Amino acid sequence: MAAAVVTRPLVAIRGVSQRFGADGAGVLALDAIDLDIPDGQFVSVVGPSGCGKSTLLSLVAGLRAPSSGAVLCDGEPITAPMPRKVGVIFQEANLLPWLSAIDNVAFPLKLRRVPKGERLEAAARMLALTGLAGFESRLPHQLSGGMKQRVAIARGLVQNPAVLLMDEPFASLDEQTRMVLGDELLRIWSETRKTVLFVTHSLNEAVYLADRVVVLSARPGRVVDDVAVDLARPRSFAMTSSERFGILKDRIWQHIKHAERR
Amino acid sequence: MRRQERFIVAAGVLGLLGLWEALARLGRLDASLAPAPSTILEALGRLLRRPEVLQSLGVTAWEALAAFVIAVPVGLLIGFTLAEVPGLGGLLRPLVNFLFGVPKSIFLPVFILVFGVSIPQKIAFGVFTTIFVLIMGGIAAVQSVPHALVTVSRVYGATRLQIIREIYLPAMAPILLESARLGMVFNITAVLLCEIYGARDGIGYRIAAWGENLQMPQLYAALVLVAVAAVAVNEALRLVETRLGAWRQRS
Repeated sequence: MAAAVVTRPLVAIRGVSQRFGADGAGVLALDAIDLDIPDGQFVSVVGPSGCGKSTLLSLVAGLRAPSSGAVLCDGEPITAPMPRKVGVIFQEANLLPWLSAIDNVAFPLKLRRVPKGERLEAAARMLALTGLAGFESRLPHQLSGGMKQRVAIARGLVQNPAVLLMDEPFASLDEQTRMVLGDELLRIWSETRKTVLFVTHSLNEAVYLADRVVVLSARPGRVVDDVAVDLARPRSFAMTSSERFGILKDRIWQHIKHAERR
Repeated sequence: MRRQERFIVAAGVLGLLGLWEALARLGRLDASLAPAPSTILEALGRLLRRPEVLQSLGVTAWEALAAFVIAVPVGLLIGFTLAEVPGLGGLLRPLVNFLFGVPKSIFLPVFILVFGVSIPQKIAFGVFTTIFVLIMGGIAAVQSVPHALVTVSRVYGATRLQIIREIYLPAMAPILLESARLGMVFNITAVLLCEIYGARDGIGYRIAAWGENLQMPQLYAALVLVAVAAVAVNEALRLVETRLGAWRQRS
């Protein structure tokens, strides 16, 4: 019976193209992208440098409108940022340096004029979820790079959005920190069941975290492969040296290798 | 360590004053050029009891304050406009840069021709001297706002007004206060210069008069007075600046 229900994708990208520069004359960054992302799926997006991964994310974030096609969230076209449905985490934590950790997490609620007590309570819960209980009153410059990114994740989650967009969130962290934060992200994801769109340069990270890896081609970005990651959950570090992990990674690398060589 | 340093500085200043006092009393210094510190202190006490001197101080303070209150908002507004309107900025910034570098004192005769020797003339010249510091400060402040933070707020649904209040203002506050403080230094200098050059009242006018009459104790007492007042204003502004800028990373 449940199987008979046709589930509508939570995020639907329909024939999306993005052209930059003077109308018609500019560079084509994305070319006719079609993607359906069901509720609760963890999707990694990889591709050669400059393939428009981040552009795709900024379209879903509502920061710009596509030149053609449409992005839908829960069936509704995205034309402007939808802070209550979509949380965004960037490569840099981008915390407001004059606000404490808890005030940074509460910031999206402040913009919505949620009463102070209520928003601080929600922010404290999110900081606890991301493992930062006890660091509420620290200023950003008193936190390490990994901790700042945890604050940014807490801020992305504080409005309980259905979708989490992550644009290379661990790219500026060192190897150990990014491995720890990757596992933390999977824990948070299994507790909250968000739909995650995760852009990364790291094939290891892409395969390790996701249910599905979408591979984009070099500019103009097109979907060249859509790889289902059939590794068991919860994921463990040992899996990264398994044969299956290697096969998946190799399949993705073949696409990117060709593109980077051009 | 810091307390030790302060102690050394204080001891050094006191030592110098002591030496000066001793040399003056021994008649080794020309009393008409360098009266003893105790004489100057005595003169200072007398000055502060003379109503016309207090009134002169009031006139100078009023001129400086009026010029400051006009120059800060107007200068910052011009700076913001130049930074935010790209076409306009490119057109007018060379002119602003040029005027910023020119010594303003050469324009003083023009101000006397236009306004006469008057209080409005002092205020206008103070504004003219100060405003360039604030224009440059306004431009620098806008440019110091990290664009990434604006993007973040947009993603979280901030309106234009919220972006200004929640991102622009706090991000710019330290630079704005710093340029206001620097502007005040320029401002006081400009007003005093005006008064020394030609005026009917004001502490600068008295300083010029005492100097011409070789009334050295009064002259030095007035210098002490002006220096203390200027440093007090400067430090007060710096205190606010440090408070509001505590989030700025120090390494």
